[in-house]
Amino acid sequence: MFEDKVILGFETSCDETAIAVMKNNKLLVNKISSQVDIHEKFGGVVPEVASRAHSEMIRNLFHLSLKEAQLELSDIDLIASTDGPGLVGSLVVGYNFAKSVAWSLEKPFLPIDHMVGHLSAPLIEHPQLDPPFLSLLVSGGHSQIVLVEEWEKYELLGSTIDDAAGEAFDKLSRYCGFGFPGGPAIQKLSEGGDESKIALPRPKTSGEFDYSFSGLKTAAMYYLRDLKKEDEVSRRDFAASYQEAIVDSLMGVFERAVKETNVPTISGGGGVIANRRLREKLAIFAEKNNKNIYLPSPILSTDNAAMICSAAQKNLTTKDLNINDVRLSSIIN
Amino acid sequence: MYKLSISTSGSFISACLHEDKLIGSLIFKSSQGSTNLLLNEIDELLIKTHVQKKDLGAIYLDTGPGYYTGLRIGYSVAQGIGGSLGIPLVPVNGLDSLAFAAHTSHRKICAIIDIKRGEFAFCTYKPVPGGVVRETEPEIINSESLKAKLSDDAEKKLLVGNWDVIPEYNLPNDSNAKLADPKVVTAETIFSVGERLFQNNKFPNFNEISINYMREPDISLSQSALEKKVEFND
Ligand SMILES: [Zn+2]
Repeated sequence: MFEDKVILGFETSCDETAIAVMKNNKLLVNKISSQVDIHEKFGGVVPEVASRAHSEMIRNLFHLSLKEAQLELSDIDLIASTDGPGLVGSLVVGYNFAKSVAWSLEKPFLPIDHMVGHLSAPLIEHPQLDPPFLSLLVSGGHSQIVLVEEWEKYELLGSTIDDAAGEAFDKLSRYCGFGFPGGPAIQKLSEGGDESKIALPRPKTSGEFDYSFSGLKTAAMYYLRDLKKEDEVSRRDFAASYQEAIVDSLMGVFERAVKETNVPTISGGGGVIANRRLREKLAIFAEKNNKNIYLPSPILSTDNAAMICSAAQKNLTTKDLNINDVRLSSIIN
Repeated sequence: MYKLSISTSGSFISACLHEDKLIGSLIFKSSQGSTNLLLNEIDELLIKTHVQKKDLGAIYLDTGPGYYTGLRIGYSVAQGIGGSLGIPLVPVNGLDSLAFAAHTSHRKICAIIDIKRGEFAFCTYKPVPGGVVRETEPEIINSESLKAKLSDDAEKKLLVGNWDVIPEYNLPNDSNAKLADPKVVTAETIFSVGERLFQNNKFPNFNEISINYMREPDISLSQSALEKKVEFND
């Protein structure tokens, strides 16, 4: 446990360059330099572009974070960084920078699994979050249901067999010209739309707690391909119906997993957890079934370094959630 | 004051430590695990030479051209160390370092560096007393065009750098072009140029340093998908 330590955390696994400073479970700084503007024109995250941007951004962000936290380098006790999974070209930037800072300052360095980071994010606002709990981790890069039996004992109950939930948002959003990232764009458009206007499938998989979104995406694309002006479908109605289908799919499997495991508490993480409709449905489900629910606020749901500090504070170093994930700290040694 | 030089742009990763003269160096073949190895090896180098981190006064970094991932690893490590120890980071162009290392010759120097996909970074230099000056700006060239370019030029020249990865039939075979060392950019070739830049105060602020990629990033996402027009009723 490092509760009384000043922790400097780094996260560069995808398209956010993020640095945070935490002390005594209090966030002193949570800086996120988003590359959304850069990737928007491509309609998705371009790995080489992301990696170049991390390189250009990280040192400035590092100096800025210390300045805002009103700390000297010598005040830092511990350095933590995401070591995977993620885009390798992006991971190497934050990981090597962070490790070199730790080496230079002669401070301990903790490699943190990105997913364990998401699992620990709710702790920042809800320190009472205690295992066992079930977490729904959904973003553009991952869709998983993880059972946390105790800290450092995780079981991956299910994951997506094709696209991640965030990808399903992104791809349709790109197809319709709604903008990038797709989740927030579709959520915004869905306001006031009729979510029952268009009947879209809620895909099932053979794996008990697995997800699949490619069938839903294809069904929506076919529907749009054959759409005529006289069908009188507005962007609002389409966005609301599509969002509802994704949220329903996520909820269906998750609800079954909660019932089966009979955990007292539910949680979540990842960019899609910032979705208002999903949060609403999770809250209703928790209320109805008498479960505790601890969700990170939207800014702590999307990728950030505060969650890396949070995991480091509990000394939750890298633990394989999925053995196929690339992890920098395990490539050699 | 000690200076740490780093090169990670090619198939070898190297670092060396100088005071007035070379006091220690390391070189190893780049591999998938290089990301962890670089810092560990630098640590070893300091331990072996009994040098304290706080006695490092500057870092000379190979900022390319070369392989992207390697360059970023070197850049991240150098920035992390430089930013934490509060010491200057001096960027050195790899092509310049190759030409400088060959500057005893009276010939014109042609430096080439492999940047993958059959392409090379290329630049020519003219020897001057005590060093070299660029005759051209660095450009990207494939091996066929390189051969044509070198054959068209009757001047006597030295070819340095990664010429050994060019197929033999694309190498010039006339007496005007001599294949020479160094074949790779190393921390030591970087040091020679870095030291001059540092002593003459010719290096930028850290936030003006960038990697010499020389190519726009690859875009693998389909742009056409963005142009889809759906007939919504609003
Ligand atoms: Zn994430």
